[in-house]
Amino acid sequence: MTPDQPSGADPILVALGSDVRTLRLVHAGFRLAREQGRPWIAVHVEVLGWETSEEADQARVWLQEARDLGAQGVWTRSSSVVNGLLAELRKSSSSVLLMGQSRGKSVWGRLEFAKTQELLKKHLGLRIVTIPMEAPSPVDTQPRPTSETLGILAATAVLLVVCAIFASALETLAGFPAIPAVFSAGVAFVTHRWGRRASLTAFLLSIPLYLCLSAGWPRLLYFLGTLSVVLLLVDLVDRLQLETKAGRRREAETVLLMLLGRALARCSTLQEVAEVLSQRIRSLFQADAWLLTPQDGETWSRRPATAGAPACPPPGELLPHFRSASRHRDPLEPLFLDGCSYVPLAGPQGTESLLQIHLPGDAQFPQASWGSLQSFAVQGTLAIERVRFLEAARQAHVDRETERMRSSLLSAISHDLRTPLAAIQGAASSLLLPADPLPESARGDMLAMIRDESQRLARLLSNLLDLTRLESGALQARKEWQPVDEVIGAALRRLETSGSPMEVRVHLQEGLPLVPLDAVLMEQLFSNLLLNAGRHAPGSPIDLRAWIDEGALQLDVSDQGPGIPAAFRKRVFDKFFRLPGAGGDGGVGLGLAICDAVVRTHGGKIWVEDSPLGGASFRIALPVDGAPPTIPQEP
Amino acid sequence: MALPVILIIEDEAPLRRFLAPTLGNQAYQVIQAATAAEGMAMARSHNPDLVLLDLGLPDQDGLKVLEDIRSWSRRPVIILSARNQERVKVKALDLGADDYLSKPFGADELLARIRVALRHAVQDLYPTPVFEQGGLRMDLARREVTVDGSPVHLTALEYRLLEALVRRAGKVATHAQLLADVWGPAGEGQTHYLRIYMAQLRNKLEADPTRPRHFLTEPGVGYRLYEENGTGPDALA
Repeated sequence: MTPDQPSGADPILVALGSDVRTLRLVHAGFRLAREQGRPWIAVHVEVLGWETSEEADQARVWLQEARDLGAQGVWTRSSSVVNGLLAELRKSSSSVLLMGQSRGKSVWGRLEFAKTQELLKKHLGLRIVTIPMEAPSPVDTQPRPTSETLGILAATAVLLVVCAIFASALETLAGFPAIPAVFSAGVAFVTHRWGRRASLTAFLLSIPLYLCLSAGWPRLLYFLGTLSVVLLLVDLVDRLQLETKAGRRREAETVLLMLLGRALARCSTLQEVAEVLSQRIRSLFQADAWLLTPQDGETWSRRPATAGAPACPPPGELLPHFRSASRHRDPLEPLFLDGCSYVPLAGPQGTESLLQIHLPGDAQFPQASWGSLQSFAVQGTLAIERVRFLEAARQAHVDRETERMRSSLLSAISHDLRTPLAAIQGAASSLLLPADPLPESARGDMLAMIRDESQRLARLLSNLLDLTRLESGALQARKEWQPVDEVIGAALRRLETSGSPMEVRVHLQEGLPLVPLDAVLMEQLFSNLLLNAGRHAPGSPIDLRAWIDEGALQLDVSDQGPGIPAAFRKRVFDKFFRLPGAGGDGGVGLGLAICDAVVRTHGGKIWVEDSPLGGASFRIALPVDGAPPTIPQEP
Repeated sequence: MALPVILIIEDEAPLRRFLAPTLGNQAYQVIQAATAAEGMAMARSHNPDLVLLDLGLPDQDGLKVLEDIRSWSRRPVIILSARNQERVKVKALDLGADDYLSKPFGADELLARIRVALRHAVQDLYPTPVFEQGGLRMDLARREVTVDGSPVHLTALEYRLLEALVRRAGKVATHAQLLADVWGPAGEGQTHYLRIYMAQLRNKLEADPTRPRHFLTEPGVGYRLYEENGTGPDALA
């Protein structure tokens, strides 16, 4: 018991392999953990050089499956499986280890397994639960090559000769009528081991052998009868076994299909769908697979993109095969062309995409797996359709957002243009009224208002134009080496002459060198920043600092006003963004957007901080590339 | 004494409707042209004392009109142009325009520029050797510069720059014009020379160099020596 196990029970460790049998282990682990009410950990130990990348991929699938069933999944690397497991066991302080026990493997493999078990028991006093594992059934029974058939024939013959010698020895030495029994055993073995064709050979071979051994014709009938019964029985048992094997294989395929469906359900892009399909087809059929989708109707777009993938005919040549020839073929049969098999993924608009499958040695796809492959294709089609709809929905959302932003921009602009226009129009028309001239003071007020509002309109328009030109890239910074103070001076003067009185304190680093700036743009930047500070922190002194640091010109414009809440520090640079609660005192939310654009066209950055004196501090860093030009000394 | 004649070359009728009565009310005689061709013809036939020239004319580039006028007349020309057209402004000034106004502009600003330009037209014939304003005094004849009565030592180049500015007092001087005046052909394109010497002048002659009162910067165009009864903060307010 360790304190870090919240449930109080130590976990069950399940050692995962990579082949399809591992799934049984995962499910057994899940059941055991549920029965005992303990947590469980699924471990895969990667021993470098032992696994192919396909096997590792497959192992990841099982690990994910275990995670889905509530296990903690652990992928660990070690010099050997035993060491890796030991390390994990210590780490998790588990006392139960669940592992698979291979059957039908080599003697050496079994010894190795026993050794591993022994080691683990000795080291930790573990309880080890093993689960018998069937050898993975081959996907299909391929026809035997001729050399192998000849070998089997020879072996059968040798075996029967040995049987004959043994039987005759028994008969002559012990006087025991052993010939039918011994031959029956021999033929049964051959049938079981090498199949029906070998058994027929054995049956035919045993007749002359029997005739050599004993001349008794009547006993021959008895001998043949016995042999036939044995043959029948063995054949029956073998058939049953084959059925069982096939059933098991179908079960494995069903599970894989289920897993495939689940993996596809998680995909949100075509690329992901293609990767899942390719990976699953590789682990089930040991074949390479690609998803082909037509691109501009001329070429295929291949996913996943693999170097050295087999070529395939263009869509215009390949797709008609599925339309015209389908009548004459088994509907499940994949199209076989130039060493590759093609399976159509037929959606609502007919066949658009294909699965291209390449088996080692340019082999045809085995008939027994056509059905499974079609199931894969159907699942893939559904996933692709789903991904497409997802993409369409996403695009529709983006379009709607863009449209919404455009209309909100438009309404902001038209509002900001209309307000001063309405004031100007109203004032001018009332001044022009023929009857009852207004008192002199009211006339003066109205005229001043007309002037102020038209100035505001002009400012808004030129800001809009500037921003548009900056954002479209039509306005580029024309950098020239110049003193910062000159630009600052020009900005300060513009503010004074436009009647915006504010207290600005300028602090320049001693001996500030020339810096590359666009004077016109930077003057506007300073004006906007100072106007902005004056607007949001009325009456507060504004500090403007400039210094060189980290190869960049650093600027700081700080006020002592209310500051900017952290949530808005990025958004203040957005077009038409105004701080909530800020009054409608002429700001339209373009000034800082222009600052941002100016800084960007200089290759620098701008951001907002808290000022040490309270209030907002606008910080700018502009890169200073190269050395300032020199000037000849005056004699 | 005959009223000074001002020729307005401007294609926008609302602007002419605003300009003509404003100037007429200020003891100027106003004549108007709506196209470049008409403007050039009227300039030749009336020989006005000052021309207000819009650069965006329908039939021809305003700069062509300026070149045509400058080919036979030294009379002042003030350019009317949109904002953000620093390059065009500089080109017009280098072609011989006397000043510029960015649209939109106020009547006070316009009148101040016209006053300065008309005064210079006379002054250039009889230059005054002394410029005095706000504690700063320059005596071009005696090559003396004083701030609040105490003499200031200037290097040769600083003095030449100051002299170039004083000769254009109240008007804008482009970078190219100042560089040519002070450094000659060697100064072409070396705007940073000008900026460094301008900074030196401000350090010696301005009370607060970051808030110049005399040596004003026209960003992207050049410099202007402020003249009290011409253009300046009071006139622009």
